[in-house]
Amino acid sequence: MAIEELPLAVEHAAEAPPPQRRERGLWRDAFRQTFRKRSAVVGAAILSLLLFMALFAPLLAPYGEREVLIESEGLQPRTEPCIHVSVNWIPDVPVLSTVESFLESNGFSCSPSEPQHLMGLDGNARDVFSRVLYGARVSLGASVAAVSFAVVVGTAIGLISGFIGGRVDNGMMRVMDVLLAFPALLLAIAIVTARGPGLFNAVLAVSVVTIPVYARVIRSRVLSVREQDFVSADRALGVSGPRILSHRVLPNSLTPLVVVATLGIATTVLELAALSFVGLGGDPDTAEWGRMLALERNQLFTSPHLVFYPGVMIMLNVLAFNLIGDGLRDALDPRLNK
Amino acid sequence: MRQRRFRWVSAFVALGLVAAACGGDDDSAEEEGEEAPAETGDFEALAFDESTQCGTEGYAGNLAGIEAVDAQTVTFTLCNPDVAFPSKVAFSALGIFSEEQLEEAATGAPVDAPIGTGPYQLEAWERGSQIVLTANEDYWGDAAAIPTVVFRWSEESAQRLVELQSGDVDGIDNVGTEDFETVLGDSNLQLIEREPLNVFYLGFNVDKPPFDNEQLRQAIGYAVDKDRLVENFYPEGSIAADQFLPPGIPQYQDGAESFTYDPQRAQELLAEAGYPDGVDLGVLSYRATVRGYLPQPPQVASDIRDQLAQVGITVALDEQEEGAFIDNANTGALSFYMLGWGADYPDATNFWDFHFGAGASPQFGTGFDDMHEVLSEAGSTVDEDQRAELYAQANELLLQHAQAIPVAYGGSAVAFNAAVEEAHASPLSNERFAVMSEEGADQLVWMQNGEPSGLYCADETDGEALRVCEQINESLLGYEVGGTEVEPALAEEWESNDDLTEWTFTLREGVTFHDGSTFDANDVVASYRAQWDAADPRHVGREGLFTYFEALMGGFLNPPPAPAG
Amino acid sequence: MLRFIARRLVSSIPVLFGILLATFVIGRLIPGDPCQAALQERATPERCEEFNSEYGFDDPIFVQFGSYVGDVFRGDLGNSVQERQSVTDLLIDRLPVTLQLAVAALVIAVVVGVPLGVLAGSRHNSKTDVATIVGANLGVSIPVFVLALILQYVFALQLDDTPLGLPASGQLTAGVIPEPFYEVWGIGQNSLFEFIANIDLLNAVLIWRWDIFIDALQHLILPAVALATIPMAIIARMTRSSLLDVLGLDYVRTARAKGLRERVVITRHALRNSLLPVVTVIGLSLGTLVGGAILTETIFNLTGVGKTLFDAITGRDYFVVQGFTLVVAFGFVVVNLITDIVYTFLDPKVRVS
Repeated sequence: MAIEELPLAVEHAAEAPPPQRRERGLWRDAFRQTFRKRSAVVGAAILSLLLFMALFAPLLAPYGEREVLIESEGLQPRTEPCIHVSVNWIPDVPVLSTVESFLESNGFSCSPSEPQHLMGLDGNARDVFSRVLYGARVSLGASVAAVSFAVVVGTAIGLISGFIGGRVDNGMMRVMDVLLAFPALLLAIAIVTARGPGLFNAVLAVSVVTIPVYARVIRSRVLSVREQDFVSADRALGVSGPRILSHRVLPNSLTPLVVVATLGIATTVLELAALSFVGLGGDPDTAEWGRMLALERNQLFTSPHLVFYPGVMIMLNVLAFNLIGDGLRDALDPRLNK
Repeated sequence: MRQRRFRWVSAFVALGLVAAACGGDDDSAEEEGEEAPAETGDFEALAFDESTQCGTEGYAGNLAGIEAVDAQTVTFTLCNPDVAFPSKVAFSALGIFSEEQLEEAATGAPVDAPIGTGPYQLEAWERGSQIVLTANEDYWGDAAAIPTVVFRWSEESAQRLVELQSGDVDGIDNVGTEDFETVLGDSNLQLIEREPLNVFYLGFNVDKPPFDNEQLRQAIGYAVDKDRLVENFYPEGSIAADQFLPPGIPQYQDGAESFTYDPQRAQELLAEAGYPDGVDLGVLSYRATVRGYLPQPPQVASDIRDQLAQVGITVALDEQEEGAFIDNANTGALSFYMLGWGADYPDATNFWDFHFGAGASPQFGTGFDDMHEVLSEAGSTVDEDQRAELYAQANELLLQHAQAIPVAYGGSAVAFNAAVEEAHASPLSNERFAVMSEEGADQLVWMQNGEPSGLYCADETDGEALRVCEQINESLLGYEVGGTEVEPALAEEWESNDDLTEWTFTLREGVTFHDGSTFDANDVVASYRAQWDAADPRHVGREGLFTYFEALMGGFLNPPPAPAG
Repeated sequence: MLRFIARRLVSSIPVLFGILLATFVIGRLIPGDPCQAALQERATPERCEEFNSEYGFDDPIFVQFGSYVGDVFRGDLGNSVQERQSVTDLLIDRLPVTLQLAVAALVIAVVVGVPLGVLAGSRHNSKTDVATIVGANLGVSIPVFVLALILQYVFALQLDDTPLGLPASGQLTAGVIPEPFYEVWGIGQNSLFEFIANIDLLNAVLIWRWDIFIDALQHLILPAVALATIPMAIIARMTRSSLLDVLGLDYVRTARAKGLRERVVITRHALRNSLLPVVTVIGLSLGTLVGGAILTETIFNLTGVGKTLFDAITGRDYFVVQGFTLVVAFGFVVVNLITDIVYTFLDPKVRVS
């Protein structure tokens, strides 16, 4: 989620009352609520597609992720897409024939004698379509990893800070403020420059930069839950601090966290792509969408397909998580009218 | 990005100059010591004679003396013969400044606002945005056809092309590899190619295992398919390398034996090296910075890695940040890396000695004595045929020791609006805008890769800066438009004595600087002295390194403490 | 109220100090030797000794930090090794460019985003609403640099000779050198005036050169739109969601029950309160804008803070990294502070207490 939305997220997290019903009931309800929204359904559909691509890439990809085709097919780098359209089994449906003529007029279609490359070849004569498929693994994996790390660390900080309160709370929140004062991309660039380029460092950098977001949200939740009766009751009974944290506070903090985290994945994908774009993403051979785009950005006018396809994939990735996150937020936020 | 980039300087002049060097009179410098005013009217001639320092411990330079014989004559005396002296004199780092402005060198005036004799003068430098030059009305030669020239810059080749196509700029440097076709196919634009005066090579540090194995290095040499690299990743005009010198350098050897693409031989050598079943060599280091010798670093690195894999050599790619990469190379921290070199001046010594001579940087590890010997002999021989033989030997030694594998000579190109007349590309990146014209246009906008760091030619090494300051300051000689032949500039004639240790230049009369002051021999002497003597108060530039003077003339007087290798 | 402001100010101090510390650490974290970075191939042990003592790199780390803080308070941010200017001078040159771009983008984002958000919120679940949500989500999802490249392609190339054609660069047309206003007015020159003069739009107005103003505006449109897209989408989303929140409150229900027309309900009753959180968003957007400016500046060839910072980080120009990051972070804290104060000023709940 974007930094600008942080205050509102924090406010909602603070004000949302703890659930009255049992956990499972709430989640099932939320699930149903979310997918009543069409946009969330669309988001889920896109995400499923991306997951499918990521999981089955080796099966779906006609070529290897790093397979260079200079020798094997005698093709030059940055060859145009070649789509076999005049295949007999395509029925004579009007839509399909329009597609066919569109492809033909733009020079994308080619005869079956030439090897098919749906999205053309990249600067090293590798099949872009295959790399796009494999890229789903990296994009999804990296962004989820980055957010997971940030969530774990941020939650820990937020829990401790909110529960203990006092000076510890003050101190930790000041540190979070300092982190938040720097534009995310800048901080990420600095971290990657300090540690060296590479996917791992990029993920780490983006992670660190978003920790304050989760810390703030969790802390806000903790502060409000802390005052609740059932927590006072627990304390009176002598339940230990950590136990209260894990059994009372944490479960009640999950709802805003899930929303923020889902939206956070969207931002992370963008940040990672931006880092690759400025050249700090690492190995040029890994099929990472941001990297693929960055390598070819000077070819926007000569080979737009090399920029277009990775760009669209990034967009779809971000869009999917945004839509789902929005849906979750609407469903889990008790203030909105049903 | 920011890297100092050495410029290409070539001279086919050597032979021509030897012919031009007729027996001159013997003009031995008069008194020893510093300034020696002579009495010729109210012209107080400057002269410096340091011949006693020749060959001594504290002086590595070749310049023995400069004298303003009279207001229109300057004589240079050298410690040892220098065949290439005129082509060095023509270089922009030896541009002439007025004595008056040199007095202000300490304030940095020449760096920000140079005053010269050239066809253009500096109108404004808006840092970060543009540099505006206006024509010099009182130029001694043909006045510039276009009254205003604006320099802009962008690191992205697509950005430059968009601006050219949309008409916002009239000429661009370094057309992107993929954009050659676009320019050629656009009737509003013209593409002009530059010949490749550089070399791209794979380097090894021979002290670091497993690269301390000569056969392994040779094996890699035969495993690289240079034609495939040039065909797929380089623009038109690029050539697969067959030796360390590019074809534009006079000592280039036709038909030299080289590392041809021979995977079988590579595998045989690998087996001999002790790796019959292949080997994992660790990393191949490189930086993503685009250079004339390497326009697509990541793609080339990828492909080299794939090619090596085909003979059983596994290597991982290590893309380093630009500055860190150069640091690492210079300190010998890299074992296996991609790097290149563009010519500074038109002679084999610039390529060979810098990399493989006795004082070379540690990037290749410990040098080889046999190469040191051959190179030092070749550098001090005057006879061209003898030199050719020696360099042929050096080629063979490189083939054997294989600390570097020459891969390609990278071509490049500029593009102009088709309406620009006399548009040209200089092999030395020395485009002369004064000769260009465009009907109805009173302004020419040129877009290059980067912004100059400073405009004091003497203390710059980056081609981006030199191209600008060349329009403003002239040297005694110059290079022909779009070519490499040396021609008169501020000096109308020149001659030397028989053994090429004394050179006399006759200066042009009636030349004025942009601020109106007259140009005479003292300005020449002062300009050279300011660079020559490191203890001179005028020896202040942007960084104060005066790298080119040191490279061309051998060294400074009163030099700062010598570098440790 | 005043106490609140005072408390916020005081709590900002440790943050500011933390920023000082963080920027110092960031500067030092950049790998490599500063001497090597500056002199590169020509760095020798002797020259580096000189260099290090001149710039103070050979002092113990605490001393370096101490002198750093002292310098900052004195306004001395060091010198850029790459650019041969003091960091302060660089700031005066570059910051106005980014500010102009960020403000222009913010204006576009607000002027388009708020009405869109209001429109969507007031027609909850209608087609307009859905369209806005989808649009907003798309806007937030597209990477800035992709959008910038596409905008360039369409407006600078394809539409080149049409009235819709826009220039590909963010800078003024080549050869145009606007006179600084202080020279035209004949008043003295100082840093503040220089800073203002570097804001092209403002300077053009001050010297009454509308041709330059138009030129600057034309060149500013594409980069500003590219940069504005994400904040615009966020602002639209926030406005909508905030409006929906408010529309569910009791007093709005009362207004409706009174029989007022929906439009009056919204504009007179709901709007003002729902715009409050948007104020916060606008304030915080400035931070994102500066961050996104890096990419936009690179593509549109503007020499602003973002591009300078990126070049400095990768080129290891320590003082520029420290100085610029410091100013950006400080600026962010200040903007936050102001936003908070404005918010509490406007929020009747707080005012009453």
